[in-house]
Amino acid sequence: MTRRSDAPRTRSEFHAAAGALVVVRDPPPPPPAARGQPPTVPGDPAEGVEILLAVFDDGSVTGLCGHVDLGTGLRTALAQVVADELDVAFDAVTMVLGDTARAPNQGPTIASASIQVHAAPLRLAAAQARAWLVERAAERMGVAADGLEVRDGVVVARADAARSVGYGELVAGGHVELALSDAARVKSPDDYRLVGRPVARVDIPAKAAGEPVFVHDLRLPGMLHGRVVRPPYVGYDTGPFVGRSLEAVERESVAHVPGVVEVVVLGDFVGVVARREEQADAAMRALVVRWKPWPGGAGLDDVEGALRANPSTPRVLVERGDVDGAVASAAQRMTRSYVWPYQMHASIGPSCAVADCRGDRATIWTGSQNPHVLRADLALLLGVPAASVDVIRMEASGCYGRNCADDVAADAALLSRAVGRPVRVQLTREQEHAWEPKGAAQLMEVDGGLDAAGNPVACDFRTSYPSNAAPTLALLLTGAVEPRPVAFEMGDRTSVPPYDYPALRVVANDMAPIVRASWLRGVSALPNAFAHESWIDELATAAAVDPVEYRLRHLSDARAIDLVNATAERAGWIARTAPGGQSPDGDRLKGQGFAYSRYVHSRFPGVGAAWSAWVADVEVDRNTGEVHVSRVVVGHDAGMVINPAGVEHQIHGNVVQTASRALKERVRFDDRGAVEAREWGAYPILSFREVPVIEVVSMPRPGEAPLGAGESSSVPGTAAIANAIFDATGVRFREPPFTPEVVRAALGIVPAPPPPRAPALAAGMRGAPHAGPARRRRGWAVAGAFVAGALGVAAAMLGHRPSIAPVAPPDPALFTATALERGRQLAAAGDCVVCHTAQGGVANAGGRAIETPFGIVHATNLTPDPQTGLGRWSFAAFRRAMREGISRDGRHLYPAFPYPSFTRMTDDDLMALYAYLMAQPPVRNDVPATALAFPYGMRAGLAIWNALYLDPGPAMPDPTRSSDWNRGEYLVNGVGHCGACHTPRNALGAERGGAAYLAGAFVEGWEAPALTSRTHAPVPWTEDELYAYLRHGHTRWHGSVAGPMVPVVRELAALPDADLQAMALYLASFQSTTSPQAAESRAQTLVEQSRGRARQTTGAAQRLFDGACGACHHDGDGPVLLGRNLPLALYSSLASAYPDNLLRVVVDGIAEPATPALGFMPSFRDSLSDRQLAELAAYLRDRFAPGLPAWNDLPAAVARARAAADTSAPR
Amino acid sequence: MLRLTVNGRVHEVDAAPGATLLDVLRNDLALSGPKYGCGLGECGACTVLVDGVAARACVIPAGGVVDREVTTLEGLGSRDAPHPVQQAFVDEQAAQCGYCLNGMIMTTAALLARRPRPSDREVREALSHNLCRCGTHVEILRAVRRAARLMTPPSDAQR
Repeated sequence: MTRRSDAPRTRSEFHAAAGALVVVRDPPPPPPAARGQPPTVPGDPAEGVEILLAVFDDGSVTGLCGHVDLGTGLRTALAQVVADELDVAFDAVTMVLGDTARAPNQGPTIASASIQVHAAPLRLAAAQARAWLVERAAERMGVAADGLEVRDGVVVARADAARSVGYGELVAGGHVELALSDAARVKSPDDYRLVGRPVARVDIPAKAAGEPVFVHDLRLPGMLHGRVVRPPYVGYDTGPFVGRSLEAVERESVAHVPGVVEVVVLGDFVGVVARREEQADAAMRALVVRWKPWPGGAGLDDVEGALRANPSTPRVLVERGDVDGAVASAAQRMTRSYVWPYQMHASIGPSCAVADCRGDRATIWTGSQNPHVLRADLALLLGVPAASVDVIRMEASGCYGRNCADDVAADAALLSRAVGRPVRVQLTREQEHAWEPKGAAQLMEVDGGLDAAGNPVACDFRTSYPSNAAPTLALLLTGAVEPRPVAFEMGDRTSVPPYDYPALRVVANDMAPIVRASWLRGVSALPNAFAHESWIDELATAAAVDPVEYRLRHLSDARAIDLVNATAERAGWIARTAPGGQSPDGDRLKGQGFAYSRYVHSRFPGVGAAWSAWVADVEVDRNTGEVHVSRVVVGHDAGMVINPAGVEHQIHGNVVQTASRALKERVRFDDRGAVEAREWGAYPILSFREVPVIEVVSMPRPGEAPLGAGESSSVPGTAAIANAIFDATGVRFREPPFTPEVVRAALGIVPAPPPPRAPALAAGMRGAPHAGPARRRRGWAVAGAFVAGALGVAAAMLGHRPSIAPVAPPDPALFTATALERGRQLAAAGDCVVCHTAQGGVANAGGRAIETPFGIVHATNLTPDPQTGLGRWSFAAFRRAMREGISRDGRHLYPAFPYPSFTRMTDDDLMALYAYLMAQPPVRNDVPATALAFPYGMRAGLAIWNALYLDPGPAMPDPTRSSDWNRGEYLVNGVGHCGACHTPRNALGAERGGAAYLAGAFVEGWEAPALTSRTHAPVPWTEDELYAYLRHGHTRWHGSVAGPMVPVVRELAALPDADLQAMALYLASFQSTTSPQAAESRAQTLVEQSRGRARQTTGAAQRLFDGACGACHHDGDGPVLLGRNLPLALYSSLASAYPDNLLRVVVDGIAEPATPALGFMPSFRDSLSDRQLAELAAYLRDRFAPGLPAWNDLPAAVARARAAADTSAPR
Repeated sequence: MLRLTVNGRVHEVDAAPGATLLDVLRNDLALSGPKYGCGLGECGACTVLVDGVAARACVIPAGGVVDREVTTLEGLGSRDAPHPVQQAFVDEQAAQCGYCLNGMIMTTAALLARRPRPSDREVREALSHNLCRCGTHVEILRAVRRAARLMTPPSDAQR
């Protein structure tokens, strides 16, 4: 159903609407310049009056507000206000929020002021419209206005309910505009029908059905996709390097990426536009951008030191009594510092925007919290008048302050202008984490003390808060705005304590940001309250008075006292004069903490929002240091509540988010000061496992003005948790987050050492069988020297081999179906397609560049194309190549082609393989000739190599062994050429024999593990396990395949079970016999051990693992997702002496698993830093291979993994 | 061309096999349910069902689900004919900003299909890697319990 209230897109459409009553107001005068406060933009009189409300002749109503709904339910609450005041049905109202072309300019949506302040004009407008409508009805019905009442938009005569007229009828045919008048009379709260009742949120049904409501979901005709590339000064927006660091953009670096439309460069702003989103993403990753060296930012490992060193201007907020004298007179001095970390908004959806900038108009769809301010920014950026920019606000991921929503809107505007088409820009997770204006760190210093009776003598409070409004990034990057350090005056929120301290001084040290920072929920108030409410707890303990009792003694605000009492009572507050009153539950120490605060926001002295108090119950594990908040009772007094259900949800949200910030959240910076946390593992937030029981105590205040409830209940939270931890442990924590490692350090808990490694079942030949990744190169260098030396001799001794005459391509119809099928299986067993297919190329058409120590070898075209493939090869030529490594034309082939293995194949099999290859469709593909540098380019030298190492086949079966064993041996060592990867090579690059046979080697940066008793697999291999591994790509006791083994398993799918069983039988004969029971028992032991180790290794690396990997890799206590969650304790990559395989998988991911049953794994290449990768690897080793020595030189291994060619990642 | 089966219909999509399933669902099939959150399978905002199992569309190459059944939030139900899990989330008002809602509903649907009467612990574990920043966890847990009741026939519920 289309309602008229949904239709108007602009102010002029409201003005032009026939059959409408519209309430307007003149744009309010520009607000007085507010130093150091979030910017506002005055209304433009040229744009005419602002529209607040419209009633249409179909009875529908539009309400307009300049604030936006951030998931707080504001849209619903404002609709309640309008419907109630107008006496229309709730669902008759459409709310328009934030659009600059329609909604009034009411400044940014911050400080929980939407209901408290900005709903007032809307309510007034509704009251005025109702009065006008009732008057018209009175005229029409000939009944005095006071004889009428309104029910759901119908005016009814009280005396005669049959006489009535609807609002729609009253406005039909005309257009009336009323100027908002202060004289309009609003309803008495006693008459509210909707306000104060729980109303279902209007936006949830569409969201639950996946309808396109978010800005992310907007799709315009002809829309292109953009991505940005950000500079290396990650997270900084001041300093001489900002906007001036770009050296060059190599546009040709994305020439190979399909769909790229434009690369846009403006100062340090770099963006790409492509037809499809994944193309834009690929271009972003591929684009080579050269930046000037960044000098680095502040060291932020020591936040307190950085804050003390940051220049500041003291601003005295309160000075009452002789503070210095009182402090000096204290019987017990209490000088304390409290430190708050940098934290993130951490929106779940990275910011997105769509812009359409064409001609002289710019339209931007955005999730901004500040549409009018953003419009001014965009006008400045684009160099156009603000009136030609429309900002349309759509739903966005929850923000809680200022995330990158405005930044991406500006990015989209620049890219759209460059290509003259609509462009959607989606920031990546990494970009959002790295660049969002952080919630600032903060330092609170308190001095004061107690007199002899335990009463406070003074509070001398200083707070340092480095933050401003975070200018829109594109303005800085393009040089439109100078990257100067500007200090705001926003550190004063809730800085004045609520207690009657006899002497009080409060000073805000205003300071410019260190890293990009802006307001985050509980702006400066959460840290200030943390300090005040921790400090008074410290005073109470020092005075040996119950902390609640102590607060009540010094509180005089009646509503505060009521709230403190009600909350403590509901929570079952246990009065105490010292910590440690509760008996532990096993290893868990229990404690209870209290805190109270009233959030005071906006320019000092500010506006009081709701009152709030917390009782937090915590459990602290005395072995691991983990803190669990088990229950929170939160008391709340928000005056009259418009939507009780909405407010309760807001309180729940505040409790969860505050517990998360208190327990887990701190932005980590790298050693250059750049933001290092770029995904959820490095910046974890509270999960469902940790959510406390929450009980809300709402103070009934129907007669009082409604107060903002979006943030208030967060403010006392961190102090309540810290106070509870003190109660549990007797240790005072003054710097969140209270992570296990912080608690362990404070409590003197020594982490448990890893348990001894469970003894292996069979004493194999342990230890590294091969040279490892680093020494391997030297081995090849020696080989090179030998070959070079031998070449001269070889060339002299052995001449060019004869060519075999070309033949006409054989007719595939001559081959039998049996031969073709057998050939297909052999081709699969030999993995022909793996090496002979270029990335993205046709199967077996060649062209893949294979890296060898001697240079690049290009795989040849195996299709029967006469010019470029095998089309003119006779069987004799093919057989000679397979047996002797000689091409049809007589040239030697390099042993990168594993003919020393293929030589073992029988004539019948070679014939079948030949038949299969010749029956494939010919593909013309001129493969680059392999041209190795001198001396390796002299192929004749290979003759001597062959003389030394080639044992020409076919091989004979071993009559002392079973036929199955012989079959397995034949497949493994012949066509399967397993040794090509798994057997270490000698100095001349030939596979070694004896004990080294299949004993493991490094190939292209991957470790091909030992297949013999030298295996480092945590559980010994059995025949069944080997079979399962080859057949399914994973087993119960050995995890899943990765890396170059993936295509091998994929190819083996073509082979019958009997062949794989034979291979398993053969390979198992190298292992000492292990019964399945013994293997299972060992697997269980290892899994149990790693599970136990989980509890002993809590800390940053464990959180990184849990956040980044834990959705798929867990101990059975996490989600069930597509793929197999096999115990990491059983993976040989974690038990190896080398971390290379593990790191390769983490860096590259697994885009093409061996079999569909296995899941996909993302590449963490662009998401984790080198340090994080090393930390993660070290953690995994300790956790999943406890008892084995820690890996050496992880930084070098990380560098190897990054450098290795990525052939598997999707992007 | 990739042939994908999504919400019971076969689609031919002109996308590279390496394009993520998420991008293809959103951009080629105009499905808005699955959301981009992290691209790393960490947060769950992009969750879909693949052959009935919860899967993170942001880490799956579209080419990897050819010949498999993909179900998105839209395939579960609509505003007018919601799936019981969708209905339960609306009834419990289990959203603040609603960006994570897709993942919460899809993960719950997969959980309840596998375990119709999960314990509170099982619910928390199943959702442990679906991130919500607004702190809607309490309402979401209520919604899962309500959905389990809606989906369990009364005779079973009495047992």
